[in-house]
Amino acid sequence: MTNSRIEKILTGKTLFILTTLLVTAALLFAIFVHQNWLGLGEAVRLTWLQNWGVLHPVMVHLPIGLVLFGVVLEVASWKNFHSGYRLAMLLLLYVLIFSLVLSVAFGALLGSNGDYGSNLLDIHFQGAIISSLLSWVSLYLHAKALASSKKLVIDFYRISFFVGMFAALYTGHAGASLTHGEGYLDKLFTSKSEQLNLSAIAEKTGDSAIGLTPDQERILSVEARAILAHNCYKCHGSDKVKGDLRLDIKDMLLKGGEGGPVIIPGNSLESELIRRVKLPAGDEDAMPTKGKRLSEKEVKILSLWIDKGAPWPDGDAQSTFKVAPLAPRNPALPVNTSNFSNPVDQWVDQYFSENKLSWPAVADEQVFVRRLYLDLIGLLPTPEEQTRFVRDTAADKVEKLVEELLSRQDDYAIHWLTFWNDLLRNDYTGTGYITRGRYSITDWLYKSVRDNKSYEKIVEELISPADESKGFVSGIRWRGVVNASQTTEMQAAQNVAQVFLGLNLKCASCHNSFINNWQLTDAYGMANVFADSSLEIHRCDQPTGKYVRPKMLWEELGSIDSMATRARKMAQLAKIMTKPENGRLYRTIVNRVWKQLMGRGIIEPVDQMDNTPWSRDLIDWLAFNFQQNGSDLKWLIRMIASSRTYRLPADGLKQPEDLFANDFRFRGVLVKRMTAEQFTDAASMLVDSVFGYKELKYLPAAFTALPSGAVVVRAALVANNPLLLALGRPTRETVTTSRESHANLLQAMEMTNGQRLHQTLKLGAQKWLQSGHSGKNLVTIFYNRAIGRPPTAAEIKVALGTIGQPAGASGIEDFYWAMLLHPEFQLIN
Amino acid sequence: MKRSISRRSFLQSTSSAALAAMAAGAPFLGSMSCNAGKMKSTADSVILLWMGGGMAHTETFDPKKFTPFSKGMEANSVLSTFNKVPTVLDDVYFSEGLEKIGSVMDKGTLIRSYVAADLGHILHTRHQYHWHTCYRPPQTVAVPHLGSWIARELGQKNKVIPAFIDIGQRFSVGEGEELKAFHSAGFLGNEYGPFMIPDPLEGLSSVKPPAGMSLSRFESRNKLYNDLIAQSAVGELGSEYQKESLKRSMEQAYMLLRSPEAEAFDLSREKKESYDIYNTGRFGLGCLMAKRLVEKGARFISVTTEYEPFMNWDTHENGHTRLTDMKKVIDAPIAQLIKDLDESGHLDRTLVILASEFSRDMMVEGRPDLKVKEQVNQPDVIEELKHYGMHRHFTDGCSMLMFGGGIKKGFVYGKTADERPCKTIENPIYIEQVHQTIYHALGIDPETNYIIEERPFYTTPDGSGKAVMDLLAKQA
Repeated sequence: MTNSRIEKILTGKTLFILTTLLVTAALLFAIFVHQNWLGLGEAVRLTWLQNWGVLHPVMVHLPIGLVLFGVVLEVASWKNFHSGYRLAMLLLLYVLIFSLVLSVAFGALLGSNGDYGSNLLDIHFQGAIISSLLSWVSLYLHAKALASSKKLVIDFYRISFFVGMFAALYTGHAGASLTHGEGYLDKLFTSKSEQLNLSAIAEKTGDSAIGLTPDQERILSVEARAILAHNCYKCHGSDKVKGDLRLDIKDMLLKGGEGGPVIIPGNSLESELIRRVKLPAGDEDAMPTKGKRLSEKEVKILSLWIDKGAPWPDGDAQSTFKVAPLAPRNPALPVNTSNFSNPVDQWVDQYFSENKLSWPAVADEQVFVRRLYLDLIGLLPTPEEQTRFVRDTAADKVEKLVEELLSRQDDYAIHWLTFWNDLLRNDYTGTGYITRGRYSITDWLYKSVRDNKSYEKIVEELISPADESKGFVSGIRWRGVVNASQTTEMQAAQNVAQVFLGLNLKCASCHNSFINNWQLTDAYGMANVFADSSLEIHRCDQPTGKYVRPKMLWEELGSIDSMATRARKMAQLAKIMTKPENGRLYRTIVNRVWKQLMGRGIIEPVDQMDNTPWSRDLIDWLAFNFQQNGSDLKWLIRMIASSRTYRLPADGLKQPEDLFANDFRFRGVLVKRMTAEQFTDAASMLVDSVFGYKELKYLPAAFTALPSGAVVVRAALVANNPLLLALGRPTRETVTTSRESHANLLQAMEMTNGQRLHQTLKLGAQKWLQSGHSGKNLVTIFYNRAIGRPPTAAEIKVALGTIGQPAGASGIEDFYWAMLLHPEFQLIN
Repeated sequence: MKRSISRRSFLQSTSSAALAAMAAGAPFLGSMSCNAGKMKSTADSVILLWMGGGMAHTETFDPKKFTPFSKGMEANSVLSTFNKVPTVLDDVYFSEGLEKIGSVMDKGTLIRSYVAADLGHILHTRHQYHWHTCYRPPQTVAVPHLGSWIARELGQKNKVIPAFIDIGQRFSVGEGEELKAFHSAGFLGNEYGPFMIPDPLEGLSSVKPPAGMSLSRFESRNKLYNDLIAQSAVGELGSEYQKESLKRSMEQAYMLLRSPEAEAFDLSREKKESYDIYNTGRFGLGCLMAKRLVEKGARFISVTTEYEPFMNWDTHENGHTRLTDMKKVIDAPIAQLIKDLDESGHLDRTLVILASEFSRDMMVEGRPDLKVKEQVNQPDVIEELKHYGMHRHFTDGCSMLMFGGGIKKGFVYGKTADERPCKTIENPIYIEQVHQTIYHALGIDPETNYIIEERPFYTTPDGSGKAVMDLLAKQA
């Protein structure tokens, strides 16, 4: 066929009439089906017809693509209607109309099976009819315009075309919402790029028409290559190059191995890599040969990645893993948030409005004051303290109370000691493997916290320690032979990285990491800072004969003199580490403290600071200004605790896993459960001392005095024991940065019949009896002190039923017990 | 309508799980694991009889040439300080004092070729850590005990009996902190940790209301707890996991404490004749409790002779005399345990394992080709009885026993040399294989792993453990 013949057909009347007939027939058919005038819903024998509905999703992407291309053509010939594009436009319109009305007909069949009955379906259908009709009108006007070339006709045609195309796009969007759920695009617009539902896309790999945005493409690339990193780099990476194949470098991957190319971009089905990973475990060709098989999901993501041409960007985005910026950043506070004076609130306000969340009313004051006491000093407020706060009418009463609690130096220090002990794996006993294997830093730590030493100084003194703080980098010295990745120097590198920088150097201390970009040489460089002379690099515990000079992970922050003594190198590292330019250091601690107060970090898990924060501005602003304010931890706590955000009602999670959900939305403080220390301290105050003086492992200057004048031996100052262990205090063999907060059977057993608690209850009951108060008094006072509210009449009645009148010792014990296990007591709302 | 909704929610749920696994930083579990039930199992329960302190193979289940004590004897000439005695199996001999266990060997397998790891300067708790976790200490993360893995993968067998019960070990002894390091569920979470019963005679009190509390008071106390919760506003508020888990675990504890199964912990209910056979001390009674617990549906029980530095099997001197006593402690109860489980039919589905962290030798510390720093002063010429015995820590040939749960009957696996060094010379078996054999019998997939700190952590290192199929009977 020659061009002129095609032109003849396209501009001829025959085709136009045929098309008009087809449009009429298809749309009438569709309307009949949609309105169920054919009775398809009832007539079983017609289901074969309905089955044709599955062609709708196949068909529907064609008109959408043509619409977009049509717009391009139309815009390109804006100035000169009679350009060379006209014939193409005509062809496009015909194909567009054909595909459009067929889609409508199939769509009507698909919709008729009753699976999609909603308003959205009606909108989708009406939109489809309208856009079909407008396309036809456009075709008609297009012909007129070609013939007459009057400006008015051309304008009419254009209006009709653009309106019609808009209608088609809108219709497509409605259809996508039907299939993928309304708001399927929201994830893109929240700019939280990792929320991309890759596996949903992977699920639909058959649906090849799905295009990817650049952002999606980047994430797909990262995720796919992370799968390769975790499963394949071991043998096909820089360490080993089995089969002459490397998968960690773009060009090498594309080149393939001994057996030729392993992937064919754009064609996963023909790609050797996909064939291999799909083989059953026993097969000779199956990959990976060692370790687990890839999950179905992982295979799908790899396939999708290859189908999309195996995108692997060059340059900065080349990292397989998420990499957070290192530099500090001080974002300008948002405007239009004049309602809030606290910057935390201003950022949260911005976050809320971006996420279409609204500010709930603040938590009840009694609830709030209990939260504040437990979070800042680890103790319950007394009823007097509570009342004082509630009755205070000053506008700045929260700030005042925060200030007051922060100034209770010893109470504050004892409470936060638990956090630091977990973090720095400092404890009073064990693990020496055996003796002299570790050094305690308790005295130094306690004083540092009590005197509110700047974080900068704390870090310096831990990394470049005097005798009293050397325990952290000295690590645990094990008797006998240990893996090269567990020498004390390497422990120091790992722990400094984890604790201060929120990154995992553990993998890289054995081999180039499969989980981040750190290399074996990075880990050894860091470890060499803590070594008298450079350590020989061991890969997977085998010596390599290679060495690396000491260095900080980010060398741009500063270099370390490889000829210097150990002490000198550590001093240099300490200085480099605490530079303001090391934004990572300050973000990491800000995130940890935020988690202590709010129940979840701005970034989770808190040891993976390369993950994306739910508000980058918030964490960046806090970290920058924390550093600028002398890295004053109390400044940070004050900033958070006196915000309105911290006063929001506590939000509960259904599953502990939800903490790490990718679609986590910040709505306020999360419900926390008392730690082992908070629980036993509260029991000591409410019932009777859980621990005796003899159990004190560390004696700070001051104790916490009860209102009665008695003194509490606080749990943070005693060695671990079965009760504390059951309640979740870690053994501190390894760094612990978050504790479990869900209960379990073993814990319940300890609480139910453990000796220590039982003894406390007994003594507490005796003490109460001696006081001579009535049972009702007891219940009221206890509720006020323990939960922060008076009991209801019904609660008093239930309680007195057990306590007895007059109160009996066993009744009081049982009441105490039930209250200590009461969720309302154990949870911090 | 229905179809589209379910499809949509399906997409959402699978994608969040998969993405969680991909994000893979969480110390949370579940997405990669739980293959239990897919594989055919031959055992439901495990009893580990732990000979803590280093049990000399040549003095127990792998006797060599006997040299009686005489003053001025040459130490290097002594391989065994006991006579050998026949067992029920042809040509298989045990050391004197283990006749009763010898009489039940037709019901199990004797392994004579366990090779412990080289961990340098020897420390019991490090080798014990390695034996119980399959990982060499130290590790950068808290590693779970074998029993915790099993508890995690298979759960409780009977819903009121804790899945992992540990009988007989106190932490108040020397190296207590080191012991705690592996008596732990590690990253699996406290829920899967051991339920500790340091003294079997006190076992009942671990599962009874506190001393002095009557059952009726116990019940009314629990009622008070529930009533107070029902009255409070917390009943109406959201159902966050902390609260739900608190209520659920209290309910579970309550059920256990008043359940008939709790009787299993009560040794006084055992018939006197039976009790007396088992009663050789805490270890024997621990075996009795293990028997009773397995019969009621326990999942994993460890019973130990208890590790305490320089006590029990940890013979740095007086090896001969001390082992005479140790054999008395273990011989009757272990034999009886096997017999009783066999008679009650439970042995078919209960895997019983006897093991120790390493063996002992009079001369060699560590292994012959890789000697380590000696810790015991052993004179070359023996003048005193206290130097007569296996006092050094030997890692190159150790004995183990396995009974029931699909293990071959009347079978001997592996061999050690008959002359010093009495090291493994046939079919060496390592800890990864031991663990994987146990998991295999229980039907736990060898690929079981969790993503911990962004990398997979397997039941055996890198999932490398291979079950020793030779130890398992052919399944009909």
